[in-house]
Amino acid sequence: MAGATISAAAGWEAQRRRAFLFGLSPALLVLAAITLLPALALGVASLTPLSLLDPVATFHFRDPLGNYRALLQDPRFTGSVWVQLRLSATSVTLQLATGLGIALLLNAPSRMLSAVRSAFLIPMVLPPIVVALIWKILYTPDVSPVHAALEAWGWPLRSLIANPDTALWAITIAETWQWFPFTMLMVLAALHMIPDEPIEAARLDGANSWQLFRHILLPYIKPVLVVCGLFRLIDSFKAFPLIYVLTNGGPGSVTEVTNFYGFIQAFNFSYWGYASAIAVLMLAGVFLLSWLIGRLNGSETSEHH
Amino acid sequence: VTSRENNKTAAVRLLGRRRVLRAASALGAGAIIGAPAFAQGSKKFSGVTLNVSAFSAPYQKLIKDWLPEFEAESGAKVNFDTPGFPVYNQRADLELSTKGSGFDVVNVTFIYSSRWINSGWLTPLDQFVQDKSQTPADFDLNDFLPGARAPETGRDGKLYGIPWTAEAMISAASRFDLVKNAGLPYPDTTDDLVNVLKAVHRKERVSGFITDNHYGWTFPPYLHAFGGDVFRKAPDDLYPTLDTPEAIAAADYFARLLREFGPDGAVSYPSDQAVQSLKAGRSNFSSLGQIHLAQLADPASSKVLQTAAWGQVPKGPAGRFPGTAVHGYGIPAGSRKKEAAWHFIAWATSKQTMRRAVAAGYGSPSRRSDIDADIFRKRQTVNGYDLARLAADAIDLSGKQGYMKYRTVSVYPQVDQQLNKAIELIVSGQQTAANAMKQAQAATVAELKRAGVAL
Repeated sequence: MAGATISAAAGWEAQRRRAFLFGLSPALLVLAAITLLPALALGVASLTPLSLLDPVATFHFRDPLGNYRALLQDPRFTGSVWVQLRLSATSVTLQLATGLGIALLLNAPSRMLSAVRSAFLIPMVLPPIVVALIWKILYTPDVSPVHAALEAWGWPLRSLIANPDTALWAITIAETWQWFPFTMLMVLAALHMIPDEPIEAARLDGANSWQLFRHILLPYIKPVLVVCGLFRLIDSFKAFPLIYVLTNGGPGSVTEVTNFYGFIQAFNFSYWGYASAIAVLMLAGVFLLSWLIGRLNGSETSEHH
Repeated sequence: VTSRENNKTAAVRLLGRRRVLRAASALGAGAIIGAPAFAQGSKKFSGVTLNVSAFSAPYQKLIKDWLPEFEAESGAKVNFDTPGFPVYNQRADLELSTKGSGFDVVNVTFIYSSRWINSGWLTPLDQFVQDKSQTPADFDLNDFLPGARAPETGRDGKLYGIPWTAEAMISAASRFDLVKNAGLPYPDTTDDLVNVLKAVHRKERVSGFITDNHYGWTFPPYLHAFGGDVFRKAPDDLYPTLDTPEAIAAADYFARLLREFGPDGAVSYPSDQAVQSLKAGRSNFSSLGQIHLAQLADPASSKVLQTAAWGQVPKGPAGRFPGTAVHGYGIPAGSRKKEAAWHFIAWATSKQTMRRAVAAGYGSPSRRSDIDADIFRKRQTVNGYDLARLAADAIDLSGKQGYMKYRTVSVYPQVDQQLNKAIELIVSGQQTAANAMKQAQAATVAELKRAGVAL
C-alpha cells in the first residue's frame, strides 16, 4: 500500500516535471536559437580557415585545430592577451576600490547624499561611445579643459593616449570612471541590508572606523564585491568602444586587447575562421575565470559556515 | 505675340520678379538635367525594385534627394542604403563574396576594387556603355578622368565601375601668413617643408604639421617621394618592400614631421580631428584628401579662410606622388536586374546629374567637363588657389604613373595595418625607423604568405 502510494507520488512528480518542461519548451527553444546557435556557428567557423576572400574554398575542416595552433604562435595574439589581462586586472581593481570607497562615503540617510548617489550613476548609463568621446576630448591636449587647467597652473601634461607608457592607464581610468558606479550601487544596496545591532555592539566595544569596516562591514559585503568583480571582469573583456575611439589599439600595439585583435582579423583582414577561434578562446577564458572565482568564493563561504 | 507678351507681363506681375527668376532657373536646370534618355518618362522598368548600396557620402545624399525623378522616369523603385564606410565595406564584401543577389548596384570601394573586380564578383560594364539603346549618346565615358577609370578596370581590361568621385591628396597650410611672415614661400619639396616647419612650428601656439593617423593612406606619398614603394611591383609582384633604405628614410622623415612638428598626441588624430585642428588654426600644414582640406575654405566653420593656402604634396628625391582614391558604382555579378541597375548607374553618373551635383556644391567630381566647368572652378578657387586644378593634376599624375596600384591589391588592408603600426611606433619613440620598418616588413611577409600570395 505504502509502495503504491510512493509510486503514485513519483508518477505525479514525473508528470509535473513533464508539464513544466512542456510549458517551458517554447522559451527554451527561443533561448537556444538566439544564444546557442550563434555560439555553435562561432565554434564551427573556428575550426575552418574561413576567409571572405574565398569563402567557398576556405570553408572546410581539413585541419580543424589549425587556427588554434596558429594562435599559440601568433605573438600579436599572445601580446593582446597580456594587454587584456593587465587592463582587466587594473580596471576591475580600481572599479571595486573606487566603488567601495564612494559607497562607504555615501552610505548615510541624507537628501543631498541621495542626489550625489544619483549623479554618480550617470557615467554608467551613458552609451559607451559617448563615454569614449568625452574621454577623447579630455585626453586631447589641444582641446582638453584638464590639460589647459594643468598648463595654466604650471604643470603641463603630455598626451596620455599617445604615450606608450600611459596609454593603457588612460583607458583604465576611463573604464573605471564609467563602471565604478556599478560597484558603488551594489555595495550601497548591501550596506543597507546590514542590521544595526552588530555595528552598535562593535561601537560600544570601542571599535574604530577601520575595525568596524574590517570586521563588521566587509564580511557582509564581501559576497557582493565578489559578484561585482566577476561581473566587471567578464564585462572588461568586452572593452571595445573606448579603445576604438581613444587609441585604435595603439600607439603600436600597447592597447590592443584580444577582442580588438579579433575585430581586426575579421573585419580588416576578412579572416573569419581565425577571428572565430580568438572569440572561442576568449569565451573559454571567461568561463574558466568565472568558474575559478565561483569556486574560490564557494570555498571561502563554506569555511565561514 | 502681343497677347502672349501681355500674358507674360501679367504673369511676372502676379508671381513677382524673384519667383519668376527662380522658376526660370529651375527650367534652365531642367533643360540641362532633362537629357533625352532620362526625361522621356518611358517607365521601362516599372515593377522593378533596385537595391542600391554605397557608403554615406555627399554625392549619395544628393542622389537620394533626386531619386524620385529617376523613379518617375524609369518606373523602377530604388532602395538606397548608405551605411557608414566600414559597415558598408563589410556588408558589401560579404554579399559580393557569396555572389548573392541582395544588391543590384554597389559602390566599388577603392581599396577593395582589385579584390572585387579580379575575383569576378562584379559585372563588366563595357557592353552596357557600348549599347546605345541602354546608354545616352552624351554619356561619354572618356569624359571621366583616365586616372579615375584605371582602378575601375580589371586585369582583363574591362570596366567594372563608373567613378562618381575622384579624390586626390593635396597639401594645405591653414596659417600661411606665419610662413609669409617668416619670409618663406609655399614648400614644394620635402626639404622645403621641414625648413618651413622649423620656422613656424609653435608660432602663435600653432603646431607645424598634422595628418590623419590612417598612415596606410597618408604615408605612401612620402614613401614614394623618397623612392620607396609598398610592393616590388603591384599588382604583379607583391613582395613587400618596406625595409628598403628608401622606405626607412621616408618613414623616418614622415614620423619626424609628426613627432617634432605635430601637436601633442598627434598619433591619436583621425582625419576629422586633424581637419578640425587645421580649421581652428591649431595646426598649420597637412597633406590630406582635397575633400578634407577644401573645408579650410568653408566660411561657416573655418577660422582660417583668410590665411589658408594650398599646394601639391611635397616632391621628394624621387618625385611627387599624391595619393588618389576613386569610388564608382558597379553591378554585382549576382544581380538579377542588371539592365535596370545600369540604367540607374548611367543616370547617377550622367553629365547632367554630375553637373547638377557640382552646382549644388559637390566637391570631387570625376568628369573632366565638371572639373573644367566655370561653376566648379569659381567655387574651388580660394585665396587665388585653384583646388580643382590641384586635384585634377594629382589624379592625372597617378593615372599616368600608376603608383596607386599598391592600394587596390586584395591584401593591402594587411599592409595598411603594418604601416599604421610602424609609423606609430616611430612617432611614439618605441622603435627606430629602421627597426619599425623591418618589423613591418617581416609581419607583412608573414601576412601575405598566410593570405596565399606567392612571394
